[in-house]
Amino acid sequence: MNERFVELQGVNKRFGTHPVLKGFTMTVGRGEIVGLLGPNGSGKTTTIRLINGAIQPDEGAISVAGYDPAHDGEAVRRMSGILTESASFYANMSGLDNLRFFAELYGVTDRRRPDELLEEFGLTTARNQKTGTYSTGMKKRLGLAKALLHKPDLLFLDEPTNGLDPEGIRMVLEYIVQFNRRYGTTMILCSHLLQQLEEVCHRYLFLQEGRVIEAGTLPELQARHCTEVRLEVETDLALGGDRFEGFAARRLSAGKVEFTLPGKAAVPALMRRVTQEANVYGAAMVGHDLESLYFKIRGVAAHE
Amino acid sequence: MNKQAIWAIARKDMRAIFANLQVWLPMAIVPLLLGVVMPSVIVGIAARVPMDQAGDFQKMAQWVGKIPLPGLAGDAAIEQRVVFLIANYTLAAFFLMIPLMTASVVSADSFAGEKERGTMETLLFAPVDLLSLFTGKVLAAFIPAVGLPLGTFALCGVAVNIAGWNQFGHIFFPQWNWLPLMLLVIPMVSLATIFITVFVSARVATFQAAYQMGGVLVLPVLLIVGGQVSGILMLGTLLTTATGVVLLVVNVLMLRAIMARLDRGRLFEGQIR
Repeated sequence: MNERFVELQGVNKRFGTHPVLKGFTMTVGRGEIVGLLGPNGSGKTTTIRLINGAIQPDEGAISVAGYDPAHDGEAVRRMSGILTESASFYANMSGLDNLRFFAELYGVTDRRRPDELLEEFGLTTARNQKTGTYSTGMKKRLGLAKALLHKPDLLFLDEPTNGLDPEGIRMVLEYIVQFNRRYGTTMILCSHLLQQLEEVCHRYLFLQEGRVIEAGTLPELQARHCTEVRLEVETDLALGGDRFEGFAARRLSAGKVEFTLPGKAAVPALMRRVTQEANVYGAAMVGHDLESLYFKIRGVAAHE
Repeated sequence: MNKQAIWAIARKDMRAIFANLQVWLPMAIVPLLLGVVMPSVIVGIAARVPMDQAGDFQKMAQWVGKIPLPGLAGDAAIEQRVVFLIANYTLAAFFLMIPLMTASVVSADSFAGEKERGTMETLLFAPVDLLSLFTGKVLAAFIPAVGLPLGTFALCGVAVNIAGWNQFGHIFFPQWNWLPLMLLVIPMVSLATIFITVFVSARVATFQAAYQMGGVLVLPVLLIVGGQVSGILMLGTLLTTATGVVLLVVNVLMLRAIMARLDRGRLFEGQIR
């Protein structure tokens, strides 16, 4: 991991008597895109609000680029862009006027910046339309444009693709990756759409009941939690029993066989043998993706 | 203090007022009725009632004759004295009510309206310190609360002079004592009520609650100052100015007390739905 950019150490946060974060500890490196994963109420949004300095922790230490958000909140907010599910726009103002207003609050001096972003997010034709008439997807794209107005060093994106159509989702995900590459922006993403996170995040933090229960890159998590590999092969291979070349095998359908292997390393040798004996039309590893890992990790945590 | 943010917030809030006809129309009509129509009708009637014939008016005229009226010649006719007294010494309460009515709506909406519309969170995520945020909200209420009575006062001056022209034949309203009243005392009373209502608005969840609670807190100010404001005019220019300065000091102390009690985390947690 690069230089530590965001750090939370033993953070506790309660709302009234209800504890939301309990000894929460996490680190995000500069330029990293980190995904926060967890069920509703696991503390994702609270974490974002604490890092931004909008609310204060009851105990523990938070550092963002060397600043303590509780005391240097303005400095943290100046370098942060944020998109949350609950934040709204001024419905009686146009999309352009909303962006111009926030550009002033964030001290953006480039007067063309709101128009540039409206164009990048496909909102130019709706620029003078009141945001009260915007669809959910348009509001989401405007929210992203607002978060990026001042080219922040740190970007918080809470469900950035909710309400978007497939084209919108593709556009936003590509934009996030490009923005990170171009400006080296550190990003913290929350989403329930794990497949989308897999496309953009460098690392993942799994949250449960206000704690980080697991953290790592996808290969690290796979190495830790996937003790076997399931390989689904589209083939006309004739199976003689429940094993093939010493590996467990079962027919899923007329043209599909599933092999269970001890690890990824066994895949090439197996595939060579299958192609020698039959036609192969396609193959995919299952149970290795982020979604499968999510349920595995949560399942393990529930049993502990 | 972030001046750019202060003006951006104030402009945005004022635009919201003037974009809504149902909000600004009553704000314009009431001052016209209170500050132009009513004063000119009262002065117009007073300027045309024959004082020597009307029994009750005669008694009042005798009493008016004994009141010292700076700015009017000692040998002025009793009709002139009555019109002069009404115009220059009894209308002040109207000009106190106008800014308080204007300010109460705008300032009650200041923070509570943001919470109700779900925009408070977006605003609190921005790099704007609380003093700038509070000042922007106060300005959005203060500018119309001062501008509206000043505009109404100018119109009132024209209307009242026309209504009493038959008695004087020259401009007799306003006298100099109105200057510190309109430029210092009334703005400072307005500012005090705005401070209180904006602070209440920051603490409660809805506009309705802010409007009601703000009203309860502001009502004593209105009753105390409203009842005495005509008397302040009688004190003369210097003492009226001194009253304004005292109110200014009170406002500075009030602002300090409010800022010590305004907390970003509390504001934020208060708007989480």
